Amino acid sequence: MLHMFVAQTKAESIRIIRSPFFLLFSIAMPLAFYFLFASMNGVDKSIQSTTWGVFSLMSMTAFSLIGTAVSQFGIRLSFEHQDGWVRLLKLTPLSPAVWIGSKIISQMVVHLIVIVVIFLSAGLVHDIQLTAGQWIACGLWLWIGSISFLALGALLGTLKNANTSVAIGNVLQMGLAIVGGLWMPLSTLPSWMGSVGEWLPSHRYANGAWNMIAGKNPASIDFIILTGCGLLFMLLSIYIYNRRDAV
Amino acid sequence: MTKAIECINLVKKFGDYCAVDHMNLSFEKGKISALLGPNGAGKTTTISMILGMVKPTSGEVRVLGMPSGTKELRQRVGALLQDVKAADGLTVKEVLQLFRSYYRNPMSLERLLDISDLHADQKRRASTLSGGQRRRLAFAQSLAGNPELLLLDEPTVGMDIEARGRFWDTIQALASDGRTVLLTTHHLEEADAVADHIAVIARGQVVAEGTPERLKAQTALRTVSFRAANAPDEQEWLTLPGVERAECSGERIRLFAHETDELLFKLMQSEWGVSDIDIQSASLEDTFRSLTGSNKQTIIR
Repeated sequence: MLHMFVAQTKAESIRIIRSPFFLLFSIAMPLAFYFLFASMNGVDKSIQSTTWGVFSLMSMTAFSLIGTAVSQFGIRLSFEHQDGWVRLLKLTPLSPAVWIGSKIISQMVVHLIVIVVIFLSAGLVHDIQLTAGQWIACGLWLWIGSISFLALGALLGTLKNANTSVAIGNVLQMGLAIVGGLWMPLSTLPSWMGSVGEWLPSHRYANGAWNMIAGKNPASIDFIILTGCGLLFMLLSIYIYNRRDAV
Repeated sequence: MTKAIECINLVKKFGDYCAVDHMNLSFEKGKISALLGPNGAGKTTTISMILGMVKPTSGEVRVLGMPSGTKELRQRVGALLQDVKAADGLTVKEVLQLFRSYYRNPMSLERLLDISDLHADQKRRASTLSGGQRRRLAFAQSLAGNPELLLLDEPTVGMDIEARGRFWDTIQALASDGRTVLLTTHHLEEADAVADHIAVIARGQVVAEGTPERLKAQTALRTVSFRAANAPDEQEWLTLPGVERAECSGERIRLFAHETDELLFKLMQSEWGVSDIDIQSASLEDTFRSLTGSNKQTIIR
């Protein structure tokens, strides 16, 4: 049982890290956008009681993790369903709980690697004014908060057609990032967008980290929306999976 | 004799369509059996029910003495399915090691690589293999748990003749270890080459069953086909001397008999208005086609 779990987790992690989409959309693109936004706006220019160099780092790490959860977990689930992989695994002694459990664990391991790589790259290039405690607190917040987006991925993974899943996944990822204020601060967006954006889990996810780099705690609304959405997506996907099994 | 698989009055309906229609099948332990039938005969549906992937509408399936789809069976049964893509991102060796980790008593990696003939490709990504190599990898995956029962759905699709021959040898070697093998195929030649027991199915039903020799015995029949201006009732055809089976396609009547001299004599004497007579020895392929064909009417005595 343990042997099976370890082997499965290792295999799932390897599959994510070797995926060219992962390297491009979870590492290369967020880093490129980070350096672009930071230098365009000025690394040391102040924004929301901090500087662009730090503000954008939190935004782009959040953007990367949302994308990693949605595509590497959600879209991959749809593909595995479509490619018959799920059907094949069901015939082996691998239990569904071990399978999905190892997927979540490997996903979280990869998320931690993403945070370390992006934080490290930014820290080496720019002189970022954060205490060790702030680095760790922000990393932990982004890491644990990414669970809500794994739940969103699980919901996306209930789609049996992988092409639909890719299309919806990309729209979700971009929409959540842009309207949630991860690319440009909400205050610079049209006011209707801003008033939608502040309720999005992506905005609340990044806002918790923005608060911490400004020396504050994440707002209670950040906790409520992030946890609430996570639970909602999780329950919905469990409901859909169970209903499908019963048929 | 112990049964590895028993299907009792098995029915599967998809809406109004009856894919498997009151099927009774049993396969013995330690033998190679083939489920032979044309496309759409219900082979994959039957295999899916044996594996517990599809619930029967009615009837029962027992596998190794247990109801199908139990946890214990997943340890002891290996399956090769159709249309499963290789896992992306993993090498051949990684895929096999992963599958080995699922089982109590896995087959050794060496033997799996031997069987699939993928020693030289073990470090290659599974997704970059050719079609035939992928099929061999999938076959090795089905053997990872060292199964006592092996279910193979159309195992040789996409293999060339040489690969197919090697595959049959492998199947025979696996069966000689005491394993039970059930494969589906629409190639009569394949069932004949490898199986100890063949069940021919068509339209969701078993239409013939037995050893290849027994099925072949039917090919010793000769056929007399002709046009008849005023043919009598179908049942009367079977009363003619030596007629085992008869079928009718369009205007032509075809009679299957062991001995045709006396039959011809009777036909010429009859009032049927017989013309355009043709006499042939039926091949195994003909027997199969006449058993499974849907556009002809077959009457067996």
